[in-house]
Amino acid sequence: MKKIVEIALGIVTSVGGFLEIGSITTAAQAGADFSLQLIWAIVLGGLCIIFLVEQAGRFAAVSGRTIPDAIRERFGFKYFSVLYLTLVVVSLLVLAAEIGGVCIALELATGIGLQWWALPATFVIWLVIWKGTFGVIEKGVSMLGLVTVCFIVGALMIHPPWDQVLRGAVPSLPQHDSAHYWFIAVSILGASISPYLFFFYSSGAIEDEWRETHVGINRVIATSGMSFGSLISIAVLILAAMIFAPQGIKIEHYSQLPQLLVPVFGHKGFWLLVASLGIACMGAAMEITLQIAYLTAQGFGWNWSENQRPLDEARFSFVYTIVLLLAALIVLTGIDPLSVTIFSMVLTAATLPVAIVPFLFLMNDGRYVRSYRNGWLSNAVVILIIGLAFVLAMVSIPLQIFGGS
Amino acid sequence: MKRLVHAELLLGKKVLALNGQSIGRLEEIWAKMDRGQFFVSEFLVGSYAVLERLAAWTIGRAVLRVLGAKRDEGYRIRWDQLDLSDPERPRLRCSVDELMPLKDAQFPA
Amino acid sequence: MDLFRDCLDKELEDRNHRRMGRVDGLILEVEDGRPPRVAYVEVGVKTLLDRLSRRLGSAAARQLKKFGIDTEPYRIPWGKLHFGLNVVHADVEAEKTPALEWELWLRKKVIGRIPGA
Repeated sequence: MKKIVEIALGIVTSVGGFLEIGSITTAAQAGADFSLQLIWAIVLGGLCIIFLVEQAGRFAAVSGRTIPDAIRERFGFKYFSVLYLTLVVVSLLVLAAEIGGVCIALELATGIGLQWWALPATFVIWLVIWKGTFGVIEKGVSMLGLVTVCFIVGALMIHPPWDQVLRGAVPSLPQHDSAHYWFIAVSILGASISPYLFFFYSSGAIEDEWRETHVGINRVIATSGMSFGSLISIAVLILAAMIFAPQGIKIEHYSQLPQLLVPVFGHKGFWLLVASLGIACMGAAMEITLQIAYLTAQGFGWNWSENQRPLDEARFSFVYTIVLLLAALIVLTGIDPLSVTIFSMVLTAATLPVAIVPFLFLMNDGRYVRSYRNGWLSNAVVILIIGLAFVLAMVSIPLQIFGGS
Repeated sequence: MKRLVHAELLLGKKVLALNGQSIGRLEEIWAKMDRGQFFVSEFLVGSYAVLERLAAWTIGRAVLRVLGAKRDEGYRIRWDQLDLSDPERPRLRCSVDELMPLKDAQFPA
Repeated sequence: MDLFRDCLDKELEDRNHRRMGRVDGLILEVEDGRPPRVAYVEVGVKTLLDRLSRRLGSAAARQLKKFGIDTEPYRIPWGKLHFGLNVVHADVEAEKTPALEWELWLRKKVIGRIPGA
């Protein structure tokens, strides 16, 4: 019974915490610009993240170490410093995008400009991290994030052509605007295969005191949670495809986002969108903030845990405080949150190899994972993901230049 | 005369033969306990030595073979065969022929 | 023991199992005619930066010194260490060593002054 509850909570956490401004924006743009054609990108991203998250969780449960711990220990400080600088810069941008997402929701709800909300929203995020425990953040906020299931309900209610939905799950070549098509595909993959996701998952496994006995639970949570989460992204794409694409409307401003749900739910759809966006982005902002602090503390061997008092881990607390301030400053500059979002997703795609290559070695290192090493299938998938990551790294910036909106 | 050397700064340094040519990069140091203290026994040089450091034998050997690395890529250098008077440029005190090759047969399967 | 694989960059814990950083450096005592002795492990920001570039390490140390920050690395004698799997245990008390200098300073001067800490 306890295991079933644990699995259910884990799935709920993964689902509720999956959607954020990156996945919403990229899925909505994909649907508006290419109808149902890019569902395959979300499916591919979802499959990749399932494998990476499962391995990150298994690694932590069996070894008692997080992935960043092991990267510093096995690959040394030079490699870790490259990974660290890359991830911190990219994560800071993504964090700014998420805070921007919260501010967009608040602007939509109140009519007060999003820049005015930057500092209050950041303060609330900081306060929850400062006073809360890992359980509160992981489970509490993610439970609230279940409101994003409204996208699935909306997608069902809008009666999309299911045969075309299924066809969209198979990769196809674009019929128009190739550079933009592949740019959106790369952005979706960058939104799906975010290093902060699987690094945070491994840190979370340690916070939750997972042991070897959690290996099976981890597999269920990673697979189900990430699958349901991907379904929500697909639902956003379907809604955009059915609402925006037929009228040739491009998503160029965040004020258009409520149109994803209003045609289906009426005025309630506006508030569902506001709640979904606000909660999802707030949850993601907390995760990214914590992940930057975890990465720093783990890399340098400091005390870290969201379950300890800030006073007992002063450096860890200091890092997440400064990180939030910097991200808030980016939002305060007035830069368009949607542009920051898309750019940060592309940058994530460009820097993926640095974060993923270590998996191949760590998941086969008996000193960490003992008899829970990767089998041939998992190794084959990781190699394919690494190959995909290198391709993404090479094409993402050129596509941003030639295909970005 | 005793001097202190930062071992972590030796990591990745090219090891020079007597003729000044590089024989590979220093990738690992083996130490053995003797009367309660640890003493360096050997320095490992070469691409196979990287695998030892990464504990990546299973995957790493396969990757190296695909990339075309030679099977016996590396050397084991005894402590007395390496001159550390200039840690930026560690040099052999003997000829390359006197070094033991780093064979993959010596390491875990 | 493989010094780089089994010691360098491993997490350091004190006698109370408190994290106190990582093994940033390894010091060998070299004497002609004798095998080098593994003498100390080192913890410190200059030690780390030197691994990226000696110039960077020296420049950072000079700049930090201007702010009154001492970057002298902390050395733990090899004899005070024992090795677990992926962690190095040091027979010292972390809060009494320079390894936690920044932690204690931040605790007193910054974090401790914020309500709710």
